[in-house]
Amino acid sequence: MSDFQRFLAKRIGIAIGLTLIAVTIIFVVLRMLPGSPFESLITAGNLTQGQVDEIMALYGLDKPIWQQYLIYLRNILTFQFGYSILQSQPVWDILAPKLANTLILLVPALVTTAVVSTLLGMYVGWNRGSKAETASIIGTTFLRSTPVFITAIFFVIIFSYTLDLVPAFGMRSITATPDGLLDTYMSMDFLHHYILPFTVTVLFYSGDFLLLARNGVVEKKGSEFLKLHRAKGLSENEQLMRAGRNSMLPVITYFALRLGMIFQGLILLEVVFAWPGIGRALVLAIQQQDYPLVQASVFIMALAVIIMNLVADVLYAYFDPTVSVSGGGA
Amino acid sequence: MSLLEIDDLHVTYSTGDGSVHAINGVSFDIDEGVNYGLAGESGSGKSTAAEAVLGLLPENGTVESGSVTFKGQDLLALSERERRDVLWEDIAYIPQSAMDALDPVMTTGAQIRQAIQTHRNVTKSKARDRVQELFDMVGLDPDRIDDYPHEFSGGMRQRVTIAMALALDPDLIIADEPTTGLDVIVQDKIIDKIIEIQDRIDSSLLLITHEVGVIAETCDELSILYGGKVMEQGSVDNVLVNPTNPYTMGLKNSFPEIDNVDEDPVSIPGSPPDLSEPPTGCAFRDRCPFADEECYESHPDLVDLPNRNHRSACHYVDNAAQMRRDAGDPRTWGIETDTASDGDHERGEVILETDGLEKWYTQSQSLLDRIRGDEPNHVRAVDGVSLSVRKSEVLGIAGESGCGKSTLGETVALLEEPTGGSITFDDTDIEEYQDGNMKAFREKAQIIFQDPFDSLNPRQTVRRLVGEPLAIHDRDRDTRARRVRETLERVGLTPAEKFLDQYPHELSGGQRQRVAIARALVLEPDFLVCDEPASMLDVSLKVNLLNLLRRLADEEDIGIIYISHDLASLTQVSDRLAIMYLGRIIEQGDTEAIVESPKHPYTESLLRAAPEKDPSVSRDRVLLEGEPPNPVDLPSGCAFAPRCPKAQDECYREEPGLDAAGGPNQSAACYFPVGEDPVADDGPATDDAGTGSTPQESD
Repeated sequence: MSDFQRFLAKRIGIAIGLTLIAVTIIFVVLRMLPGSPFESLITAGNLTQGQVDEIMALYGLDKPIWQQYLIYLRNILTFQFGYSILQSQPVWDILAPKLANTLILLVPALVTTAVVSTLLGMYVGWNRGSKAETASIIGTTFLRSTPVFITAIFFVIIFSYTLDLVPAFGMRSITATPDGLLDTYMSMDFLHHYILPFTVTVLFYSGDFLLLARNGVVEKKGSEFLKLHRAKGLSENEQLMRAGRNSMLPVITYFALRLGMIFQGLILLEVVFAWPGIGRALVLAIQQQDYPLVQASVFIMALAVIIMNLVADVLYAYFDPTVSVSGGGA
Repeated sequence: MSLLEIDDLHVTYSTGDGSVHAINGVSFDIDEGVNYGLAGESGSGKSTAAEAVLGLLPENGTVESGSVTFKGQDLLALSERERRDVLWEDIAYIPQSAMDALDPVMTTGAQIRQAIQTHRNVTKSKARDRVQELFDMVGLDPDRIDDYPHEFSGGMRQRVTIAMALALDPDLIIADEPTTGLDVIVQDKIIDKIIEIQDRIDSSLLLITHEVGVIAETCDELSILYGGKVMEQGSVDNVLVNPTNPYTMGLKNSFPEIDNVDEDPVSIPGSPPDLSEPPTGCAFRDRCPFADEECYESHPDLVDLPNRNHRSACHYVDNAAQMRRDAGDPRTWGIETDTASDGDHERGEVILETDGLEKWYTQSQSLLDRIRGDEPNHVRAVDGVSLSVRKSEVLGIAGESGCGKSTLGETVALLEEPTGGSITFDDTDIEEYQDGNMKAFREKAQIIFQDPFDSLNPRQTVRRLVGEPLAIHDRDRDTRARRVRETLERVGLTPAEKFLDQYPHELSGGQRQRVAIARALVLEPDFLVCDEPASMLDVSLKVNLLNLLRRLADEEDIGIIYISHDLASLTQVSDRLAIMYLGRIIEQGDTEAIVESPKHPYTESLLRAAPEKDPSVSRDRVLLEGEPPNPVDLPSGCAFAPRCPKAQDECYREEPGLDAAGGPNQSAACYFPVGEDPVADDGPATDDAGTGSTPQESD
């Protein structure tokens, strides 16, 4: 087994451990919430005790807690998320489209901002002290520190209500009834609704990447190896690329972690734009104590973060040859 | 026509508070095939000159006037693009710190290939072949071109940069302090390599260094710079043998040499000039003992000395012979000499003694190995060291980087927990101190670190930095103020008031190191560990520091351990020397005895590796093969045997004890000491070679 394989095996082991812990925490926390999904029905007097027992048995909620836990573990780790209690549909049928909606909005936005802001950050870091640097830092910090729903509302006011360029909310026109995947996500109507939340997301995340890339390049700028690159006759842009490559690590790590967190959606943004994403679905499910739905969505979110962490580690080892994969030293 | 002509170059840096006139009219020519040296203290403008030639000045640096002509082409008039074509194709560059000069995320081969492919239109495989050829040329394994810089040691990285410089057969190689930061043995090998190769490809070399000795051994001509002015220039043989400028004399005299144990090097007092204004008078006037009004009025022009290649900028060139005589005497420079430092002073009682001291670091193991209960691997940084230090004695510890000398210092100062052996401090076993009494130990034993830039908190004033130990040890406010002031003056920071409210960044390197020393001394310790305190300092500052430590030992009865790879300064300051190799002491004894007749072959090669400042003296190099072995997986027998020119079978079988050779004042762990013929028969060798190594006996 090579060093790298050993490193990978170790990291995967840790990821599996973390997943188990996360899953357990979800279970414990949900069971600790007061009440049950049927509480409101019972207090309203619509159900008899016999009916309640029957329903509880149907969902397996009459079994001892450890049995529930084991069944839960088996199911969730095999991606059998079961039925939503309140919506009487398979959980996956409810979650999948929401998750898809969230990802189709956030992933392209994150990738775009990662590429554009990082390049911009490298450029302004290289030209330190320029007006472009000051402007971009102030601009992105402002966008980052303003709550995303405020920015979103302003954009809606400007571009939808004042200029009437794009629709203010929703993912498609109310009258549209798309058929099939292609029709849902590739229509002009969708794009028309897409552009505003996409822009807001891009701007919201831009500050992080810009600052990371800029700081990295500023830090590397005076270094001896760049001087040697310069002495070798590399052009300004080639030197900048080397500086950028050397300050890539924090950006990559941050990107991978953000990508994991994207599975949680941007709840506030989804609310403002009435975007039917997973963030809104989760809030609703917790309110209604819809155990299977909450369990499944939290599990997916946790799993995404854990997997992207793993990816970040692997990328780190790949991009930085000095990272000791054998885990020696400390 | 000369290859490179620099004429009346002026360079300034703009800083937050005005401009710094780094170079104020420097002119010199380099002919084809000539090795040219630029020498001077830090701040003399020597690196700036090289950067101006290469067009690598930082953004705040500007060439104000003057010209740089390379093969008849004005380099300063070139556009960015034209300059890029000249760089590396014609002028290559060997950077200062090999540790940071290579791109850490690019393989070494790719970096050299990049240099080739930027300038020549060749295929990747052709370029790779060339890289392998270059690796072979500089003595690196050609199969390692796909390794990353961190997989090489410091000396090997410097070889990579040399290989890179050679890639396109340039006409001129500019080497900016190519060996600073490397230890003597590696430095010697690198210099040897540069000369050998450069002879072969017949290029010119511009070598920038503060070590006069390196120039004396490698260059044909040189310029001595001070305050951005050329003080003296000409052929190395003339300038260094018969200097006519007081600065050259001072620089040469302050360069310590190993062989002259009795002769103290003479430092140049004072600090480099303030260059916020271009110098009006002679740049050196404030520190020159021979200066008078004329020197304040105008900077002397370079005067050609009759009948030889030698120019000097001094108003009193005619008195050179007289000045040379006077300059050898420390009193000329206003330095008090204390006759006590003749080495015959009383040595006090033993303050620190170690017996078989060990510091092993455990390497991390995989889970599987741990479950199987395998013995983990150890890095034996310090492996059975027995030594003793008396009060008012300086014990020098020398060795290559990685030999464990710094770990030894830290372990003795209890900054690292020893893993074996014992330490007795002030007649008390160290465990008694560790048993809740560390404060008492720390009060008596102090350590000074290598880097005065990192070891001082940048956000504290000198008053707080030096006063902090007193506060920790509960001295009252008045005592604190008084002691801080006294200690600062003791280390030569006078008047103390001037420094009390300054921050470290406002001080020069030498002053910072003095603050670090003051902080160690303020508690009036009995014992001091100095870990390479002078390695970042210029020669004259280095000498100041050595003299200060010597005085502390002599006058204040402090026992000092001085750790360094620089044998020349060690021999100046130490009463006794201990030479370390891979965690063990392989030779120890009186400084004079060791310098005059080293017994261990390793000691001999260390001594031989130091450059000679007098160009008329030739020196036999003893170049050691290879690098020190991996301290995890030590060979059985003598650890030095694989690199030892005299090693016999016996050396591989069993490790010699420290009593294997030597006399009353000296002992060495070697079966076949230098100066005695190897006798293979009557060694104490046994046939079954033990897997473990025999622990050393104490002296």
